[in-house]
Amino acid sequence: MSSADTETPEEAAPATDDAREAVLAEFTSRLGGGVVGSHIRVGDDLWIRVDRAHWLEAAEVAKSMGYRFFDFLSAIDWLPSPFGRDMDAQEDLVVAGTPAKEPEAMVQGYAGGDTRFQLLARLYSISAGMGITFKCDLPDDDLTAPTWSNVFAGANWHEREAREMFGFSFDGHPNMINMYLPVDFVGNPLRKDFPLLARRVRPWPGIVDVEPMPGVADEEGEGE
Amino acid sequence: MGLVESGKLPKPLAKLLNISRKYSIWAYQWGLACCAIEMGAAFASPRYDVMRLGVIPFPASPRQADLVVIAGTVTDKLAPAVVRLYEQMPDPKYVISMGSCANCGGPYWDSYSVTKGVDQLIPVDVYVPGCPPRPEALLEGIILLQERIAHEDMAARWKGEPIVIS
Amino acid sequence: MTAVSDPQSVAALVAEANDNRVNLDFETEGMTLNMGPQHPATHGTLRIIARLDGEQVISAEPMCGYMHRGYEKLTEVRTYPQINALINRIDWLGSFANEVPFILAAEKLMDVEAPPRAQWIRTILFEMSRVANISLFLGDFGLQLGGMTAGFYAFRDREWVLNQIESATGGRFHPNFDRIGGLKDDLPKGWIEESHTAMDKLLAFCDEMEDLLVGNEIFQGRTRGIGVIPAEIALSYGLSGANLRASGVDWDLRRDNCPPGLVYDKADWKVWTHPDGDCFARTWVRLQETREAAKIVKQLLDTIPSGPVMAKVPRIIKVPAGEAYVATENPLGEMGYYVVSKGDLVPFRVKIRSASFNNISVLPWVARGAYVPDLISILGSLYFILGDIDR
Repeated sequence: MSSADTETPEEAAPATDDAREAVLAEFTSRLGGGVVGSHIRVGDDLWIRVDRAHWLEAAEVAKSMGYRFFDFLSAIDWLPSPFGRDMDAQEDLVVAGTPAKEPEAMVQGYAGGDTRFQLLARLYSISAGMGITFKCDLPDDDLTAPTWSNVFAGANWHEREAREMFGFSFDGHPNMINMYLPVDFVGNPLRKDFPLLARRVRPWPGIVDVEPMPGVADEEGEGE
Repeated sequence: MGLVESGKLPKPLAKLLNISRKYSIWAYQWGLACCAIEMGAAFASPRYDVMRLGVIPFPASPRQADLVVIAGTVTDKLAPAVVRLYEQMPDPKYVISMGSCANCGGPYWDSYSVTKGVDQLIPVDVYVPGCPPRPEALLEGIILLQERIAHEDMAARWKGEPIVIS
Repeated sequence: MTAVSDPQSVAALVAEANDNRVNLDFETEGMTLNMGPQHPATHGTLRIIARLDGEQVISAEPMCGYMHRGYEKLTEVRTYPQINALINRIDWLGSFANEVPFILAAEKLMDVEAPPRAQWIRTILFEMSRVANISLFLGDFGLQLGGMTAGFYAFRDREWVLNQIESATGGRFHPNFDRIGGLKDDLPKGWIEESHTAMDKLLAFCDEMEDLLVGNEIFQGRTRGIGVIPAEIALSYGLSGANLRASGVDWDLRRDNCPPGLVYDKADWKVWTHPDGDCFARTWVRLQETREAAKIVKQLLDTIPSGPVMAKVPRIIKVPAGEAYVATENPLGEMGYYVVSKGDLVPFRVKIRSASFNNISVLPWVARGAYVPDLISILGSLYFILGDIDR
């Protein structure tokens, strides 16, 4: 599949993805009103956002549709990091006296979303050769979701990891203990407001000038 | 040996003891991550054979080891185990910290779960930099350690001053 | 207890009572065996807490996290080339293979395609890293089951592949050679012929392993019928790679859902499956896969097109906003990166789907009722790398 060197980001392939449209249609019809957003990238992937009340049912419906391979389950925290990009580039050094930048707005990705935290899961169908990426909004004051571990046994470990990394809880999970972090670890590391302390204490000693974008002043320097 | 501890060992004998100690190191591999593979290549593969230096790998337990090579990333969860391992080794014991993760945290210097250098936990004799260091680099580190042992003052070591791990 | 004045006869009575109790009620259940986190038979710092009933395992719970380095958080503060250098170290035996899905995901978002020569070389290096990885598995599995010779042979013969990777990329492992849009450098002179020789040596190594291990009676006794995982269980746990193919599921991401950027369709090769689903099946499938990988490399070496190795990409990589998931058939299984980008130098979120995480999550299920030595066989045959589990 060679991409044409034109401005259009899509390939010179059919502009619609019939197979994925059909999957989306069937899924929507079987799930009822649970589907609140979707996105298809032609020839590539299908995103479906369901609401929390239908999260477990979505798993069951997908499994019955042939999506029996459990890929992963995790989450996305859409809050823009309050620590900035934490980059080591000269342009990111905060010079004393400059006003702080406006905090960015929170923008969700494909298939939309309204909340800061979204569950992210992916299932795959070996017979169809396609996967579905599921998303689910979690309200900030109630970060719970039903567990998928009775439908897909592999979700057990993934939910444990999501819990300790983001601070969720999964109803009905049989063994909710820490996966990676020590028992006395405080905080949820993958939240955007969890700082990496080493970077807060001092900047990276290897900071070098980043080569400016082509067209801007020509200073010599190594990127990376 | 009372002579050794009190420092009254005659110099030629001390030298002989040091030489024999440096050529009879039993090295325990605490292989954690990628460096463990390079350490395995150094210790177990016929190409970078470490036995020609007098170092024998694979002791049955740390209680029989002279040297421990900490190869790989030490996480905070594993840190108590490293300290326990060090305490299990009998004196005189040496530590080689292999790879940048064990030296200073390495590429994970800003991670929330990595101990930034194993020297925060146990005293280290030789640091072998690299990510991962080539097996030859580890061999050079072992040779440096051997030179250090050769010039060591045994009295100071055997006096029994406790090495404080805080 | 009757009041007996003679302490000696009291002692005798007590001893007899104890003896009777032991003979009636042989208390053997409930011993907890702690394997790890440092143990020669776990590929790294995996801790398994097994409750035993005699020699049989009632439950085996792996405790991970002793190698958790926080990759997903670290990717949020590093640029794409920096991440490329870091993710080499997830699956540290087949390092080049870790870079590829990430680079492909970034290329997908940037809508950049590597030139054909780069795609060929990428695939060749990918398969070479597979050979390097699985050849160590074969040796190591033998080592764990007690056949130490296999381990030494593996380390020795792996050096051929590592030599080739090193002469092309500069690093024995952790090559950090893949770039968004192509590769860092072109191949050195004479590399193609040397790689042919290396692959021939690896094919000889596979034959040697087959002699040493697969045909070995003890090996068969320790692996046949042990740790059977049916296909349905494997799918619901998300097992991938040789583990899934050994349970009879004919699925290979190189053939079925190959992401654009790798050229597996230009070589003639075969996907191996095995219906049994036991430890022997997994080992056998991996052995055949190593052979197949060496053959793929040889075929692709003969047909490398000429041309540039790098497409035109800006010097500073800013990936446009979007989300992409690319998974490839890594030596350990299916490894994928879900990259969320906001159009910045730094990705917004990278979810790393590592194969061993799912592969080991099946351990509590498959270890029930197994004997302790079989636990070693099962662990070895499931084949994981701790960096891949713990990220």
